[in-house]
Amino acid sequence: MRRPECLLWLFAAWLLAAGPGSGAAAEEDRRLTVVTWGGAYEAAQRAALFAPFTAATGVRIDIVRYDGGVAALRDHLAAGGAPDWDVIDMIRADARTACAAGLLEPLDPAIPAPAPDGTPAAADFIDGAFGDCFISQLVFATVIAYDDRAFPGEKPDSIADFFDLERFPGRRALRAEPVGLLDWALRAYGVPRSQIYDLLSTERGFRLAFRRLDTIRDSLVWWRGGDEPVRLLTEGAVAMASGYNGRFFHAQVMGGAPISVIWDSALLEHNTWAIPAGTPDRDLAARFIRYATSAGRLAALANRISYGPARLSAQRRVGLHVPTGIPMRPHLPTASRHRALALEKDDAWYARTEALRRRRFEAWLAEGEDRGAAAPSD
Amino acid sequence: MAVGARGREATSQESVEPAAGTVRASVGRIVLMSLVGLGVGAAAALAAIAFVDALVWLNDALLVSAYARVQYEGQALLLGAATLLVPAFGGLLVGLIVTRLIAEKRGLGPPDAILVAQTRQPAPSLKSGLASTLAALLSLGCGASVGQYGPLVYLGTLIGGLVGGLERHVRDLRAIAIACGVAAAIATAFNAPIAGLVFAHEVILRHYSLRAFAPVAVAAATGHVMANVVFERPALFLVEFGGVAHGHEFVLFAVQGVLSAFLAAGFMALILAAGRLAGRLPLPAALRPALAGLVLGAVALQVPEVLGIGKETLRFATIDGAFTMPELALLVAAKIAVTALCVGFGFVGGVFSPALLIGILAGALFGLGVAEFVPVAQSGMVPYAICGMMAMTSPVIGAPLTTILIVFELTRNYDLTIAAMVAVVFSNLVAYRVFGRSLFDVQLRNRRFDLSFGRDKAILGHRPVQAYMTDDFVALAPDDTVDALRRRLKAVGRAEAVLVDATGRYGGLVALHAAMDQPGETPLSTLARTGGVVFDEETTLWEAMTRMRDFIGEAVPLVGADGRLLGVVPEGAVIGGYMEAVHDLRREENAAA
Repeated sequence: MRRPECLLWLFAAWLLAAGPGSGAAAEEDRRLTVVTWGGAYEAAQRAALFAPFTAATGVRIDIVRYDGGVAALRDHLAAGGAPDWDVIDMIRADARTACAAGLLEPLDPAIPAPAPDGTPAAADFIDGAFGDCFISQLVFATVIAYDDRAFPGEKPDSIADFFDLERFPGRRALRAEPVGLLDWALRAYGVPRSQIYDLLSTERGFRLAFRRLDTIRDSLVWWRGGDEPVRLLTEGAVAMASGYNGRFFHAQVMGGAPISVIWDSALLEHNTWAIPAGTPDRDLAARFIRYATSAGRLAALANRISYGPARLSAQRRVGLHVPTGIPMRPHLPTASRHRALALEKDDAWYARTEALRRRRFEAWLAEGEDRGAAAPSD
Repeated sequence: MAVGARGREATSQESVEPAAGTVRASVGRIVLMSLVGLGVGAAAALAAIAFVDALVWLNDALLVSAYARVQYEGQALLLGAATLLVPAFGGLLVGLIVTRLIAEKRGLGPPDAILVAQTRQPAPSLKSGLASTLAALLSLGCGASVGQYGPLVYLGTLIGGLVGGLERHVRDLRAIAIACGVAAAIATAFNAPIAGLVFAHEVILRHYSLRAFAPVAVAAATGHVMANVVFERPALFLVEFGGVAHGHEFVLFAVQGVLSAFLAAGFMALILAAGRLAGRLPLPAALRPALAGLVLGAVALQVPEVLGIGKETLRFATIDGAFTMPELALLVAAKIAVTALCVGFGFVGGVFSPALLIGILAGALFGLGVAEFVPVAQSGMVPYAICGMMAMTSPVIGAPLTTILIVFELTRNYDLTIAAMVAVVFSNLVAYRVFGRSLFDVQLRNRRFDLSFGRDKAILGHRPVQAYMTDDFVALAPDDTVDALRRRLKAVGRAEAVLVDATGRYGGLVALHAAMDQPGETPLSTLARTGGVVFDEETTLWEAMTRMRDFIGEAVPLVGADGRLLGVVPEGAVIGGYMEAVHDLRREENAAA
């Protein structure tokens, strides 16, 4: 019991001594490789986190892009040798899976700084922010958005409307991953938010969810990268699409895209920072995470892209959108009126059902292809 | 003038004095009762929360819950082994606890709560109560098809009984404290405080006196605060429902109520039959639950929905298209069978949760059947599922008001409540005729506490007349003479003597008028009047009253099973006892602060 505690204190003391600014000159030639998602999100991170970090410490940041998931990290580590990746921006469910698989370094809960008013980090971060290998930095929502031009009359406003081709005709775009779509399909039956994952744990729940997806199968378009749904909507290729709320917001206010967001059953997830196992620059990575999760930096990020900071002191500091001057708080997934409608993603369940979801999803896709292949020959 | 005024003052003071004392006593009682409600309510609510949490944890740890099972879905062998063995081993443990640690040798539940609240007889011991709760936790944790509310009701009774036993100056405190515990446990577990309050009165107390109502309401509200404010429990059951669209559907709800009554009666009869069957099996009582667990596991391999409380199935039943009619019929039959088996073979737990599940599945079946075979419009499955659930449950627990309120508090939907009300009243009416007021009442009747004609008969029928026996009588031997009789009776001013032989056996009564014209040396045995009204140790006050209708004489002899005379019960004592008991009941029912 005493040894880890002792180490923890030493580590905290070291962190204090080596705060931003000190030793900047010596570190000028050091580099840190951060793995993140690209697009508007990465642009916001560059402006709010990476550039200021380099300015404060002299450490240059190299960016590696990926599309999420655990596979990319597993492949990178499996390549052998010391990994090049120092810090990785992961969805919490993936971070849990990666942590359990030993792909991540254990993370000291003392890494994040206290709030500016002195509130300890543990009390300032939202519930579920601290994991064995990760620290949540922001809350994002996977939402359904629609093309305003597609529905000149009645507008869709619930998750059931996404599955209602009669009232709201048009193609639908969904991410080609077994994430979110089963949850939404079950929600469309009127299952309360609190029971979604209990029901999805049964064979019958899976069957019902896929049966609901069957009803829109012929209208589905699949996307992979986070920017695709925005493009599909603005091009008019689909009438509704799932996607990350920050990207939709960016397209709305920066590109003037005619897109509206349905907040009903928005799937809330955390983006976390984690350190790939075996990285030689573990200390620098921890310093970066401490910097990037400070209240000021998280608020600065939320002023650029509409993801909610994972700490309360940062949420209180969110102000106007930097490029357009729009007040940001109403657009964050952490806004209370959005939270009330949202579906909190149960990533323990997601971690448990990784293989099952994938297998069932692929079988369902194959079933559709068979049917599609069979149809013309008939 | 002055004198007169002072005189009036004096008299008015005299009349105020006792009133002030009564007021002070009333205030004291109100404070005490409120504190009892608050204290028992808080303790029972915490205990209920702990119980439910422990049960959920066990379900997850033992791979009973779907949420826990899904992570091993690739490992069919592991899941199969868990399904088969967990209930069996759980049953073994339950069997050992019940036979070794519970003095009553069975799980304690609502019937015991009713008995303790209604009578003055000692409650089952604390050790028995705790062991029963543990056995219930294990039963539910291992996925036995039993309910959680029965054990929670007893847990509330246990806590209420402990507090009620502390203060002996306030009459009926024990019953009220028990009602408080029950109300808080139900209010917390169901997240339905009004239903908790009504349940305690409707099922446990069986009256609505103001004195009981206030503390029980305090306890139910405390449970509600604990469940909602302190621990933020989600509601047990959430359902979205637009409303009953067509007037004619209420006729269907009534029909559904009648059909549910037969289903409920069959369910209860099967439970009792399973209990009798278990008693006849050449299997030690300790092993019976294990056998039931093994059968349950085997059934669950094919129909996993029968395991445990089945909250997922409960929810699916309200979704259109989640089940086909044959699936529903199979599930209803399987759940009834395994529940009867589990309860009858000695798993510890209630029947409420299984009844909810059977009812909602049967309701969904009825809804589908209507859609299929009756050419009228209907407003979806939800109202039929909910009506079925409540129409099945209400006759089982004998609480129509409670079930109607549960629907109201859980769904906050007026239309659904009215629909359920129609189904529930018809169901209760029919089930009462077919089976009895509730499973609890029938179980109590089998234990010689018959509530079917109200509290009066039950309580009088439970009080032995032996309590009013006296040994103040004239006893003579059968070979004593008429002379001796005259002498003895004259000395004590009586008109009747009891004949008792040398071994103490009862030999009949001899009345003075029968001996009047007889020669003085006639032996009394020739004059003895036998075959009249005679009580035994089992005779209750209620039987005594009915049988004494054709009794002429001074006192009724009370004869033991071995034929020995134990004493006599004077006619006046029986009437006095009857008056006292009835008076107590009326006073309890009309007591205010």
